[in-house]
Amino acid sequence: MKNKLSVMMFTWEFPPRVIGGISPHVFFLSKSLAKTGVKVHVVTCDFPGAPAHEVIDGVDVYRVDSYKNPAPDFATWVYLMNLNMQKEAAVIVNKLANKIDVFHAHDWLVATAGIGLKHVFRKPLLVTMHSTEIGRRDGLHTDTEKMIHETEAWLTYEAWKVICCSDYMVSHVRWAFGLPEDKLVMIPNGVNLSVYDGIENDLASFRAKYALPEEKIVLYVGRLVYEKGIHVLINAVSKVLEKINAKFIIVGSGYMKEQLLNIVRSMRLEHKVLFMGFVDDETLLRLQKCADVSVVPSLFEPFGIVALEAMAAKSPVVVSDTGGLSEIIDHDVTGFKAYPNNPESLAWGINKILLDENYKNYVRENAYRKVQEKYDWQKIAQQTKAIYKAVLGEFSKSFWA
Amino acid sequence: MVGQLADYISALATQLVKNKVETHVVTYHDSMTDAVEEASGVKVARVANPVRTHIGVLTWDLTLNQEVERAVANIYYGANKQIDLINVYDWHFIPAAVTLKNALNIPFVYSVESLENQRSPNSNTPYNMSIKSIEWLGFYEAEKVSAKSEWMRDEVVRIYSVPEEKIHIVSPSSDTWIKDVLGLYKTAAGGLKSK
Repeated sequence: MKNKLSVMMFTWEFPPRVIGGISPHVFFLSKSLAKTGVKVHVVTCDFPGAPAHEVIDGVDVYRVDSYKNPAPDFATWVYLMNLNMQKEAAVIVNKLANKIDVFHAHDWLVATAGIGLKHVFRKPLLVTMHSTEIGRRDGLHTDTEKMIHETEAWLTYEAWKVICCSDYMVSHVRWAFGLPEDKLVMIPNGVNLSVYDGIENDLASFRAKYALPEEKIVLYVGRLVYEKGIHVLINAVSKVLEKINAKFIIVGSGYMKEQLLNIVRSMRLEHKVLFMGFVDDETLLRLQKCADVSVVPSLFEPFGIVALEAMAAKSPVVVSDTGGLSEIIDHDVTGFKAYPNNPESLAWGINKILLDENYKNYVRENAYRKVQEKYDWQKIAQQTKAIYKAVLGEFSKSFWA
Repeated sequence: MVGQLADYISALATQLVKNKVETHVVTYHDSMTDAVEEASGVKVARVANPVRTHIGVLTWDLTLNQEVERAVANIYYGANKQIDLINVYDWHFIPAAVTLKNALNIPFVYSVESLENQRSPNSNTPYNMSIKSIEWLGFYEAEKVSAKSEWMRDEVVRIYSVPEEKIHIVSPSSDTWIKDVLGLYKTAAGGLKSK
């Protein structure tokens, strides 16, 4: 029993707290790791109504006080939250009689908790870099951005291994922080196919709430921020409509919303572009099922989970040829790759899929098969477990062991 | 040196060594890092902040604390896990003291030099409140608190409702100063282990 591999993960979001992609990632990874026989403890921020401790499919989830006093700004709050996370995680490790083999941090948002605990307990630390500040902001322009970048650099320096979810991200992280090649590991993100089971009932009446029968549905899911390239899609709307009748459904929110609404208004296309804001999980899954095409026009994309989810929902995808998206999609095989930041190219791809039924069916069937073969959580958990074991093998020869 | 604290800690550490207390001082220096043993026998570890760009004192402090933890952990494991007590001065390194207490079961004494309430009277901006919350955490988690005067003790009781019996007065101008420090340390060091 003692030999059961035990990991403690740190993440600032875990369901029901969902802000971005880290929450579902850690949720599925931890559950899949538990199935492979790894004991997983997840330490995360609290959430109204969610218990402070619960066991989900063999995963122990601890929700700690995420610091509720007013903080001067978001970044300072992050470090204050880490103070609490570190303190409470230390108590948990002691309660577990120190039986944790590895610490695993997800992004800079839990950097200081992970680094501190590594040193006080002398356990190896791994990090998954889901994104980088320099990538998100397309450079480092303010002191906050520089500070976050340097925190990320420090975290990757302290980590035994740095996991990235795409080859693109491996080279990006290596460049951003000057890391040695053998410190980086590529393990893809996964997608859960079973969530789409049984949601096909009444799909026609569900669809009718959003689009006319003669309108094709073009779906965008993501934050309305610059790096996601939503403005590129909005600028492609009129070009698509020149060829085919379609409804553009935009799911998500962000600081660019007003600006985007103004562009749509100025084009007098309010009746063709529907801004939905955040939607519940079931609505999202059904929209993905209904979509005639899903578009991921990102300018910076470490992985591109939204494309993978659309593929799992058997919705054909048009993506910009950048970052992780370039690796997920094989052009004209599992989807269409448009030139990044190019509305003409994006519109061309959307129209190609909407106008050519054979092409559409060909790419979406291929895409679904690829998801089954490569992005299965169980396979990803096995790869992650192998990394834990390799790190522990190296660690056992170190003077900390 | 920023204020008078540096001189005080130097004098205190020297006296402690003279009284056969093995003493490590962990402090900040931007470039003169690493551990050294001074002529007095006091061992000093200086750490710098790995994050060079900051948006305020709080982010600088909260990141520096991990380096403090690293330095203390190195001392702890190097000394065969024999550290009886941590004495932390003011709010800056409270986060490290709290983590080290909860992780390694080392109790700590929180020595109050001044309080945010006094440094920034009537200021309740998020910045001030964050520092106050760290002070509060320190008082809550500390085994004992030391104040240099009755007035400061009363302030701690008034502002943070700390039980009076938790606070010891250790006045540097008193003839019994070092004896008082050693007495306080002895009381506090037994704390966590006896629980």
